[in-house]
Amino acid sequence: MDINTKKIKKNAYRVTKERGKTALRIRVPGGHLEVKYFDIIKEIAEKFGDGSVHITIRQGFEVPGIDFDKIPKINRMIAPIIQGLELDYGVNIEEVEQGYPAAGTRNVSACIGNKVCPFANYNTTDLAIKIEKSIFPNDRHVKIACTGCPNDCIKAHMQDFGIIGQVEPVYDASRCVGCEACVKNCKKRVTGALRMENYKVKRDEDRCLGCGECILKCPTGAWSRNPEKFFRVVIMGRTGKRNPRLAETFLEWVDEATVIKIIQNTYDFIESYIDKEAPGGKEHIGYIVDRAGYYTFKEYALKDVTLGPKAKVAQYIDFGGYKYERNVYFDKNSK
Amino acid sequence: MALQLSYEAFNKVLQELKNEYKIYAPIRLQGTGRFSDTDVVRYGEINRIEEMVIDEKAHFSPKEILFPITQTLFYYTSEEYQEPKEEDKKIIIFLRPCDIHGVMRLDQVFLKNGSLQDVYYERLREKVKFFMIECTEGFDNCFCVSMGTNQTESYSAAIRFGEELIIDFKDEELSPAFEGFGKTVDFSPEFIQKNKVEVRLPDTENIDNSLFEQDMWKEYSQRCIACGRCNFVCMTCSCWTMQDIAYEDNPNNGERRRVWAGCHVDGFTDMAGGHGFRKNYGDRMRYKTMHKIYDFKKRNGYHMCVGCGRCDDACPEYISFSNCINKVTQIVGEEQ
Amino acid sequence: MKNPYIPKKYEIIDIQHQTKIDYTYRLAYDITPQNGQFVEVSIPKIGEAPISISDFGPGYIDMTIRRVGKVTDYLHNLRVGDSMFLRGPYGNGFSLDQYKGKHLIITAGGTGLAPVKSIINHFHRNPQEIEKLDLLIGFKSSKDILFAEEIEAWKKNEKFNVILTIDREEEGWSGNVGLVTQYVPALHIPDTDNLEIIIVGPPMMMKFTGLEYLKRNIREDQIWVSFERKMSCGIGKCGHCKIDEIYVCLEGPVFNYAKAKQLMD
Repeated sequence: MDINTKKIKKNAYRVTKERGKTALRIRVPGGHLEVKYFDIIKEIAEKFGDGSVHITIRQGFEVPGIDFDKIPKINRMIAPIIQGLELDYGVNIEEVEQGYPAAGTRNVSACIGNKVCPFANYNTTDLAIKIEKSIFPNDRHVKIACTGCPNDCIKAHMQDFGIIGQVEPVYDASRCVGCEACVKNCKKRVTGALRMENYKVKRDEDRCLGCGECILKCPTGAWSRNPEKFFRVVIMGRTGKRNPRLAETFLEWVDEATVIKIIQNTYDFIESYIDKEAPGGKEHIGYIVDRAGYYTFKEYALKDVTLGPKAKVAQYIDFGGYKYERNVYFDKNSK
Repeated sequence: MALQLSYEAFNKVLQELKNEYKIYAPIRLQGTGRFSDTDVVRYGEINRIEEMVIDEKAHFSPKEILFPITQTLFYYTSEEYQEPKEEDKKIIIFLRPCDIHGVMRLDQVFLKNGSLQDVYYERLREKVKFFMIECTEGFDNCFCVSMGTNQTESYSAAIRFGEELIIDFKDEELSPAFEGFGKTVDFSPEFIQKNKVEVRLPDTENIDNSLFEQDMWKEYSQRCIACGRCNFVCMTCSCWTMQDIAYEDNPNNGERRRVWAGCHVDGFTDMAGGHGFRKNYGDRMRYKTMHKIYDFKKRNGYHMCVGCGRCDDACPEYISFSNCINKVTQIVGEEQ
Repeated sequence: MKNPYIPKKYEIIDIQHQTKIDYTYRLAYDITPQNGQFVEVSIPKIGEAPISISDFGPGYIDMTIRRVGKVTDYLHNLRVGDSMFLRGPYGNGFSLDQYKGKHLIITAGGTGLAPVKSIINHFHRNPQEIEKLDLLIGFKSSKDILFAEEIEAWKKNEKFNVILTIDREEEGWSGNVGLVTQYVPALHIPDTDNLEIIIVGPPMMMKFTGLEYLKRNIREDQIWVSFERKMSCGIGKCGHCKIDEIYVCLEGPVFNYAKAKQLMD
């Protein structure tokens, strides 16, 4: 059996522990799809796999137990999925019948978002699709997720880019009856950004996360939404074998265009700073930022970005996390 | 007299009326709703009739025009009590028959309960003219027909919205603004005769304290979260609380104001010193229910609830007030 | 249009400290209230509070005010010569004629003595108007006793039988101990027909005291109570004091027991 593993990996298949068998991975940008695609996945799993499918943490499907020689046929079978979940979204893929052209940049995942969830501050799937469109296909290893609110159900804090929805609560004091539902709730469940003064509510903008709980709790509509959408971007969270850590806040109160632009800019940063000698030419973005430094990353990421009047940028980030072995950071052999 | 006229013509009438009146109607506040990408529909001033939302029930009732959520009663400069300056303009409100009946309930409390009149309400009330929106279909949760509030003659003008507008106006004061517009037609407004929700009203003669101790209220102790939405969206809830403040930047001056209060909300009965009543949420549901369909009638001869159903629309816990009334009726028997 | 929310300014002409937290204020006042009525005390920038009139005479009213909140905190800092704003008087009050020529039993708990004090003093000054007056007064402790001097004076009235009790034994206290309810069974009631009863105090005290009197074959309609509820207006608009179809500020605060027992909050 003669298999070019580099090629099939790029095609979103993988080398498995069972010799001769591969597994197909299907992207579902934004984690939401029409059920008609299940029929195709079912057919592939039943005809060419072992009849099972794994739901991945990134909201894709992985169909195991496939013979390598079935790849071209399966690629033709998944053409409607690539059409519907990539091309129709505006993703640029030249050959629809040859499978996924890249696997480095992972599926952009999303919580259920404001399609369903009362807490969500935006349509997470829609934004995930816009991001997919602007960065895929790409071989660089970047993980991105969109979550509707700071509850962070999608675990945006475990991503290279976590996009967290923010809402600016707008207060109309004349509609406030002073029931304190918002104040008590913010204190108990959020950051205590609200307090009563003269029977009306004062909001500490520096403490406010933009979660929108005050709007949800308000029985009179004294709190309402600024219809503009805002986002907090947390960056460089990760798991892995060297230094697992939660992502830290990079930007707050930025708009959608900014979110997309800084992610795009990051790919330029990667090209400039990736370790050319990294094993297999692969280096995870977080480690590149570790080496190049946050300040350099920031310069790249914010290039040609016009921040809105409410936007905030982190001046410094202490990523922390923990290290399994500190010596991994020392190169004993060098001068 | 009734007129048929185009929207464009009616907008010219509105422009004319605006010299003398503030004109309120349900309007859509896009994207400002409780949940993201949802709208709020509530009363606001309009310039053109197209701004009015006709195909949806206003989430909040028009009571906030007559009985503002926050209303300043006095300004204090040193120790003097100074009343706020009265608004010059008169008021036109576009509203449905149920809400017109609701205003009668507010009149009962603010003007007829006890020997003294609430002047703040009275001053606004005297300025108001009703432009009745013809309502023949109703909305989810409406039960005006059961409450007998689907029909009214108390309006200055009644309007049918169609290709063009047909307006029956009874108030001669309005005639000059309409002069030269539209053509005279025969028209009298129709009223909804059947809602999706029907309520059987209890025989109030059979209600006594034993009803207050029924198990049916216990369920609400578990379900109600005491947020007060049902009170605040209600057309007829008229309770309020006094607040005095000294201005932050000038503590010598300040004001006394009143704000809406709700019997479901914590603190409604709490007295200085800490004693309060109805700590249990089921008791609050019982108290409100009895007021709307029992004791208000005992005092004033007709039910308080007008069946607009906004409480059901608004309850985040899906508690249905109309269903609660039916439960009461099941226990005590139906009104004859 | 007359604005019923505008208060009038009245001068404080005397202040008596009853306890550490209960002060009695005498105000120069030009209206003669009924016994048991209340006023809204109105303090600019602080707020309003319903306070019962504890006594009155020509040109004055007394109010005994316990320091329990923002308004009363402020009032306790006032001195003779200062003034306060009032509106009222409001409510129905007790009807003196109801009690004249009869055997009257007044049972008061704590600050509940304030709204009935003017009745007691009326019959104290006019003993010929009453057949007999039993006074059953309870306080938490000796430190909480209100109107001590007046109670002493009442004890000397031949028509009066005064029983003063505190809730628990106390060092240096040789008087009665226990709740007022305990003293109801032993009251000498020669003729249950020619009798009226007034009970004023905390809700639980009124409930259980009422039951004690009923045990003695006294009709419900011979018993009178006074309610205290949260109020913002005092004139039937704010809704806080509504119980069933009545408003405590309009039809109360004084209720006949037959009605009061039906009023479930």
